[in-house]
Amino acid sequence: MPLVLLDCDKVIPEREKHVYLKVDGEDTRDYLPLANVATIPGTLSERGCSFCGAKLVIGGVLKDTIQMIHGPIGCAYNTWHTKRYPSDGDNFQLKYVMSTDMKESNIVFGGDKRLYASIIEAFDEMPHIKRMIVYTTCPTALIGDDIKAVVKKVMAERPDVDIFTVECPGFAGVSQSKGHHVLNIGWVNDKVGQVEPKITSKYTMNFIGDYNIQGDTYLLQKYWDRLGIQVIAHFTGNATYDDCRSMHRAQVSVVNCARSAGYIANELMKRYGIPRLDIDSWGFNYMAEGIRKVCTFFGIEKKGEELIAEETAKWKPKLDWYKERLRGKKMAIWTGGPRLWHWTKSVEDDLGIEVVAMSSKFGHQEDFEKIIARGRSGTYYLDDANELEFFEILEKVKPDVIFTGPRVGDLVKKLHIPYINGHGYHNGPYMGFEGFVNLARDFYNATSNPLLKLAATDIREPEPKEKLEAAE
Amino acid sequence: MGCEVVTKKRQGIINPISDCQPAGGQFAAIGMKDCIPLVHGGQGCVMFVRLLFAQHFKENFDIASSSLHEDSAVFGGKQRIHDGVMTLARRYPNLRILPIITTCSSEVIGDDIEGNINICNKMLKEEFPDRQIYLVPVHTPSFRSSQVGGYAECLKSVVKTIAKEKVAPTGKLNVFPGWINPGDQAELQHYFYAMGVDATFLFDIADFDSPIMPDKSIHTHGRTTVEDIQNSSGAVGSLALARYESFAAADHLAQTFEVPAHKLDTPYGIANTDIMLRKISEITGKPIPESLVRERGKAIDALQDLTHMFFADKRIAIFGHPDLVFGLAEFCVELEMKPALLLIGDDSTRYKRDPRLLAIKEKADWDMEVVCNADFWELEKRLKQPDYKIDMILGHSKGRYVAIDANVPMVRVGFPSFDRAGLYRHPIIGYRGAVELAESMANTLFSHMEYTKDREWILNVW
Repeated sequence: MPLVLLDCDKVIPEREKHVYLKVDGEDTRDYLPLANVATIPGTLSERGCSFCGAKLVIGGVLKDTIQMIHGPIGCAYNTWHTKRYPSDGDNFQLKYVMSTDMKESNIVFGGDKRLYASIIEAFDEMPHIKRMIVYTTCPTALIGDDIKAVVKKVMAERPDVDIFTVECPGFAGVSQSKGHHVLNIGWVNDKVGQVEPKITSKYTMNFIGDYNIQGDTYLLQKYWDRLGIQVIAHFTGNATYDDCRSMHRAQVSVVNCARSAGYIANELMKRYGIPRLDIDSWGFNYMAEGIRKVCTFFGIEKKGEELIAEETAKWKPKLDWYKERLRGKKMAIWTGGPRLWHWTKSVEDDLGIEVVAMSSKFGHQEDFEKIIARGRSGTYYLDDANELEFFEILEKVKPDVIFTGPRVGDLVKKLHIPYINGHGYHNGPYMGFEGFVNLARDFYNATSNPLLKLAATDIREPEPKEKLEAAE
Repeated sequence: MGCEVVTKKRQGIINPISDCQPAGGQFAAIGMKDCIPLVHGGQGCVMFVRLLFAQHFKENFDIASSSLHEDSAVFGGKQRIHDGVMTLARRYPNLRILPIITTCSSEVIGDDIEGNINICNKMLKEEFPDRQIYLVPVHTPSFRSSQVGGYAECLKSVVKTIAKEKVAPTGKLNVFPGWINPGDQAELQHYFYAMGVDATFLFDIADFDSPIMPDKSIHTHGRTTVEDIQNSSGAVGSLALARYESFAAADHLAQTFEVPAHKLDTPYGIANTDIMLRKISEITGKPIPESLVRERGKAIDALQDLTHMFFADKRIAIFGHPDLVFGLAEFCVELEMKPALLLIGDDSTRYKRDPRLLAIKEKADWDMEVVCNADFWELEKRLKQPDYKIDMILGHSKGRYVAIDANVPMVRVGFPSFDRAGLYRHPIIGYRGAVELAESMANTLFSHMEYTKDREWILNVW
């Protein structure tokens, strides 16, 4: 089957290259949707900007670091209170965001002085915090403020503080993906290698591309603790700034989210000879496989098997209870990109769920290679899908549940389709063995909601014989 | 004793109270029917604002982005505007209003919005000779004013662009409520029904609380139509209820079409609602019915149960939109509470001269502070001082952690309120809004007394 031109896209035929329906016998040599290219203006896409890719996804997770956003107030305001990544640092990263609150005169005369003053004020107001990331935004990049020079000055004056700069205005690149890239490379260039970690185990690793969504990091950390593996740095779930400066000392980089943080793993390999090991952390089969890979690397296979057996014995019966009830249910995944390939086969293998449509906001073609290889035939694969495309695809595939964000979730609610937060989760964590039971539970609860049936009832029509009851 | 008005001394912001202008422009624009705003800037300027609206209303709103990138930064974003307008027109056959909302990036680049609108109008006329799509320029650079100014700018520009000529008298009343919730609008509508007044809301946001229908149809959009806006020039008058968000639009209609502008304070509390109802009666000649006298009486009766027993002398901190903050401060005074700390979150100097503030200043025989250009750090720092007594906080959800960490009870009020269920449905203006809000304040205090074991036994008998 070739790429698909949807009815709603007749007037923007270039969208055909972004929509693929897989049929048996085809593989990614035949068709691969175009990805990571600019969005057509006015299409009501779901993409964000590269600034948020850097700040919201990666930098803002650090639990001891001031987020200083050099621009007008909106960039700080709108990216604050949008994430569910707790920390054991009193949730500093959720509570605080700072802005230079650029005003018109600063735009005209330059904002360097205002940035300097804001940095000094922030450290003075919060004397216990010594780390900061400064981000440029669209207007401060356009007027050419030299944030690196300002930061250099502050660091010269205050030797106890350390500041990282991210020059990634929202207009750079086509999506948040650009921001991931800029932050990754900037970090390894500017900060890695500056702090020597205290080594407490024979086995050390970085865990890259996990942002502690609803405690994912906490859950996986229990496994690494039981295996006796020291995580030098989580990049960046529940991590400190200085943890991430010591990444050069790990023996291996284990990568979960390859899209947002594969870059730094590659650089660590190139510069420090640290091998990169990619795993999937969602799903029973995948988690077990991931633990086996990590343990094989360290030669502690037996320990790994013990852990897998213990966790499986504890959680498999619960998972199977849901599997019996979820088998054959249809799921759509409309998230950033990597979760499409992380989830499509794990929900199929572990829970018998069929993923019938997937849309990626910022995945690259490399992601689609994995997504399509792992995904089913008869499934639609979309890059940067927009509202009208969503409606048309939903009509074709009729999913029981959509894993997506609140905006699309609130939209499809009207179509009687429940959503589960595919970004921040409903009631996570979703990683690991226990986490996948949580995902199964949330899926089950979403699809067995009695209101779905009531929603479809038109009370002007004749009354059904049986009362529509909550308990069936 | 007395009220001191200060301005934040720091240049930077630690935890913002207010959003930027484009967010306000977008909020106003979604109040119209068959309207999709096009935000000319980076994609984040739309995506996060849509998320903010989704968080508050648990609804999705259609807003488009021109997806401005590096090439536009160098060569200008003209083509992006043209593509955005034409793509929207082609894919949405019912589209009639298309506000083009600028951002900091497009304003710094200096794209000529009006010039591009002229070009787009020609393109639209050629391709769609039978359709009239109104392209509305909305200049909202993020480095000026705040969401409040953005709302005002969008409203004024929409009226200017669409209400082009004086229509025959409609007998209707224009209502400019400002940035409120569907619950507040329903309360206003209730008065107009009760008095037999035909009112047009600019903008009508009733369906921001929208149903799941058996036929799966989607109703989540504003309800103010092109005709409503055109007919605003023939109204019997304009009732503008938000000084900083809607007075400018009412003034424009008065100057251009001689529609009398009646500019009132937002009806928070009993006295402000009285003034509004009397004014509506005066404009329309319709009497205030007995039913509203009874409703007012019920409200005063309910408030009487709370004021001197529980509320008197409680020191309240309030933050958010200026019209909300000043209105609630007046309401607190009605309830015998002490508005002790007001935080206004942008750099406008007009707020210091607000008549509501001047009146409270006159009256204040308690310690009171007003912080202009404030951020949440101004609140947090004060709450951390052992002798700075605040009994309750009124404000939106972005301040939640300040209240949680300081262990001060907080009632969610204003925009955005995402960490409490369904607040958009409940009025806080008018008589019923006064009761709803006061009872919610009382119940929050009572819960706090129980959780902290602070004289919870008082409620053993009430």
